Amino acid sequence: MDQLLQHLVNTLILGGTYALLGVGLTLIFGIMNVVNFTHGALYTVGAYLMYLAVAALGLNFFLALPVAIAGGLALGAVIEVLLLRPLRGQDIDTTMLVMIGAGIVLQSSTLWTFGGVAKAVPSPFPQAPLQLGPVSVSWLSLFVLAGALLLIGLTYALINRTKLGLAMRAAFQDADTAALMGVDVRGIYTATFALGSSLAAAAGALLGPVYVVFPQMGQLAELKAFAIVIMGGLGNVTGAAIGGFLLALAEEFGAGYVSSGYRDAMGFLIIIAVLLWRPTGLFAKAERIG
Amino acid sequence: MSSRFTLTTAIVLALAATGALADSIRIGVNEPLTGAFAASGTYVVNGAKIAADEINAKGGVLGKKLELVIEDNKSNPTEAAAVAEKLITSDKTPVMMGAWGSSLTLAVMPKLVDYETPMLVETSSSGKITTSGNPFVFRISPPSALEAENFAPMVSRLGIKKVDFLVLNNDFGRGAATDFGKMLKEKGVQVGLVETMDQAAQDMSAQLAKLKASDSDTIMITSAVDQLVLLFKQMAALGLKKRVITTGGSQNPDQIIAQAGAAAEGTMHLTTFLPWLPEKTPNPKATEYFIGEWKKRGFAFAGVTESFRGYDGIRAIAQAIEKAGSAEPAAITKAFWSVDFTGLNGPIRFAKSGPAGKESGQSRPDVYIIEIKDGRVVQPTL
Amino acid sequence: MTRLLPVLLLAALAALPLALGTEPYLLNALITTGILTIGAMSLNLLLGYTGQLSLGHIAFFGIGAYVSALTSLGFDVEIGFGYRVAHEPWPAATGFLLAVAAAGACGWLIGRLSFRVRGAYFVIVTISFAEVVRLVALNWVELTQGPLALTGIPAFTFGLPGLGSWTLRTKLQNYYLVLGVGTLCYALIARMVRSRFGRAMRGLKENEPLALSVGINATRTLTVAAVVSAAMAGAAGSLYAHYLRIIDPDVFLFATTVTMVIMVVGGGKGTLMGPVVGGLIFGLLPVALRPVMAPEAQWIVYGIVLILILFLMPRGIVPGAAALLARGRAPRAGNTILKSRPAVQR
Repeated sequence: MDQLLQHLVNTLILGGTYALLGVGLTLIFGIMNVVNFTHGALYTVGAYLMYLAVAALGLNFFLALPVAIAGGLALGAVIEVLLLRPLRGQDIDTTMLVMIGAGIVLQSSTLWTFGGVAKAVPSPFPQAPLQLGPVSVSWLSLFVLAGALLLIGLTYALINRTKLGLAMRAAFQDADTAALMGVDVRGIYTATFALGSSLAAAAGALLGPVYVVFPQMGQLAELKAFAIVIMGGLGNVTGAAIGGFLLALAEEFGAGYVSSGYRDAMGFLIIIAVLLWRPTGLFAKAERIG
Repeated sequence: MSSRFTLTTAIVLALAATGALADSIRIGVNEPLTGAFAASGTYVVNGAKIAADEINAKGGVLGKKLELVIEDNKSNPTEAAAVAEKLITSDKTPVMMGAWGSSLTLAVMPKLVDYETPMLVETSSSGKITTSGNPFVFRISPPSALEAENFAPMVSRLGIKKVDFLVLNNDFGRGAATDFGKMLKEKGVQVGLVETMDQAAQDMSAQLAKLKASDSDTIMITSAVDQLVLLFKQMAALGLKKRVITTGGSQNPDQIIAQAGAAAEGTMHLTTFLPWLPEKTPNPKATEYFIGEWKKRGFAFAGVTESFRGYDGIRAIAQAIEKAGSAEPAAITKAFWSVDFTGLNGPIRFAKSGPAGKESGQSRPDVYIIEIKDGRVVQPTL
Repeated sequence: MTRLLPVLLLAALAALPLALGTEPYLLNALITTGILTIGAMSLNLLLGYTGQLSLGHIAFFGIGAYVSALTSLGFDVEIGFGYRVAHEPWPAATGFLLAVAAAGACGWLIGRLSFRVRGAYFVIVTISFAEVVRLVALNWVELTQGPLALTGIPAFTFGLPGLGSWTLRTKLQNYYLVLGVGTLCYALIARMVRSRFGRAMRGLKENEPLALSVGINATRTLTVAAVVSAAMAGAAGSLYAHYLRIIDPDVFLFATTVTMVIMVVGGGKGTLMGPVVGGLIFGLLPVALRPVMAPEAQWIVYGIVLILILFLMPRGIVPGAAALLARGRAPRAGNTILKSRPAVQR
């Protein structure tokens, strides 16, 4: 029973960051019809920015977080303008392959710059965990969960409550009509990609201090993000948020009660099962994003 | 005809790169410089460079300079075998050092037989390496059975009653669980769970929740340093407070202290080198020289528990070449049996191991237990 | 010219060892490049001719490698409920045939799947398929040895009863074996592409509704293409296993699929010579780069090259060069060489 409760708490903590990863990816797909193969690399970059800010520059932990997120935002905007904007109108395969190329360049560049030795990001939270009966949670994990939920909430509000969000939703429904109505679709695409990228960087920046930071950390994260997005339905933000928690649940209980070796296989088995059974995702496909 | 032009260019470039230098003796170094074990492999290579520079400053071996041909095996067994083949056939190295991990070394071993070229194994700990009848393997790191044997007298003094294992899902981890498990059962200690993890795994909270719920008093962990840092942090987060003993010699306590902080407090580690207490090592003068040189080159002190093996490895190879009197693979293989000097962690002298007629060489280094206390490395009083 | 080029290239490749001597390192690079090029040719059948971007192609290659290795090594595993399956080692050549069959069967599955899910979904499901297979290879230690790698895989042995047997131990023998299998695959693909079936494939790619309306059976066409493609990748995997004589779960790495995709797209997807030329260039590029730059820098170059090709030469090197040649020779003809035989009349 105690073990079960502990697994449930672990699921909640893990699910928050999974959801954050999934939301960023699904947003970009939903609005731009681009499968972002740089998502994992941006996650890695976010973690390294956090490391640079805290460990190398000596910045305050809570100040470093927005710095890392802003870095992801800027890098995302650059990638969009340099690589995606010229390819507008090309088929989805071409953009996917270009994104794979960009992902390889980004990941190899972090290895080239920082070397293979994993880096640790110091955190200001006490080492002793919070004890809730038989269950313990570290303060850092609680902060990460809170941060992830806050960012997801902010993204949701941005899409549904702001003018930019309105334009994004318009571009999602019909880019041509939106352009005729005076929406700067090119600008919206850049903003969307930058926003999605900043969420990936935020996930990396939040998880960097929990785990360690190393160049290959994004590879598995990216594949998991795909699983989450497929579960929720491509382009469905709410679906991705729920999908994040479902994947965490499957992994945690798969590892705890079935076999720890197949922990990472859960996500992919879910993808295959979902696509065979319900190709549009577990939740009805969104009529509009949000 | 751009295709054929590029092909020719590639071949010309590759040929140009393989031209051998005649006035030096080449030693192949096959280590993981990228991938999961990049950090450790890089340390070993840096240690090897110190040894080569030291020997060359004193005039080299047989009047020739030593030249290290360093290749990256990408932490991957298939790549390690390919690198060995390249070193032997293309770079014409008569002797090699490698390949860090047990799975990597085991992948290289058939190539040694194919090309009759000796290799000094500096880090790997799987028993299979020196018991499979490969007469071209000479190992200076302890196999896990030897480590377990050295640890045996400490078991009762630590008051261990029941042990769970958490090990890497490979030769290194599984080998350690088997060998230590056998030794513990012989000493009347119970063995409980054996949990495994992938070398790339980051979140082990599910395995740890299981270990937390078990009734054992000690967890023995076998993994490389990066994963140990994660494990200690996650154990602290779970409130898992049991005695922890790590094995394998790749723990790097200083990195653990720096990165895991208070979460590493009280953990114990079996290591084969005592750089924190140079006066207690078998060869204090050499240890001090090595640590001094390491610091002078600007490397982090934390790396010495890995890099000393690269240093000792190259020194052993140099002595074998010296005794062989020539840089021929067959002569060097024979000469390894007469290598005899005091390395940084005990005498380096190869004893026969494995099936008769095809024995591998195994040196017997010292094994120490250390504890992390108040953020420092100490020897526990037993 | 387009018919002559493959023959010339084949002759050049067959004569290459005479020019190089038996320098093992270069021969080794050529053999692994050749094996990957066969993989690229098979990927081209799906990617280039039917337009299905399968990013899990390495799964077929790896399944071929493992099936072939396990057939020739033998195994004895428990499959649950106390039942055990034991298998005595068989000759490597039977491993090759089983590898082709097993990979082809998996290709059938993926081919069926490509009707349920298209576009981005198809891409992600193929990646997931490869990843699941990799994790099985990693964790089913009793069967695959997991990360410990399968070692001691025997080399290919061909024998005729009464005539004795012949084991391919040397690099030179393996080189010609790979060249032979590669030529066979090329001829098979060429035949397929030039037949009615080839027109059906391209028809589906260019304009699916139209192709369906003129009576092309989409299910059958795509499934057959996927099966042939996967079977060839499995054959390449088998060659790989018996040549290197060691395989580990990293054979399923996504990076290898990316390499094959670069070979196909860089060389020219949907052309017969594209993957061959692309395979030779991008297979030997790391060998050429190795002495001059660190491995991580090589991958940066690889990524940039992929992006540049897609931007500057989206159709690939072979069509690009052909167009260039045609323009040089007969300016007015334009690039009609490639457009003269459109897939399906639009």
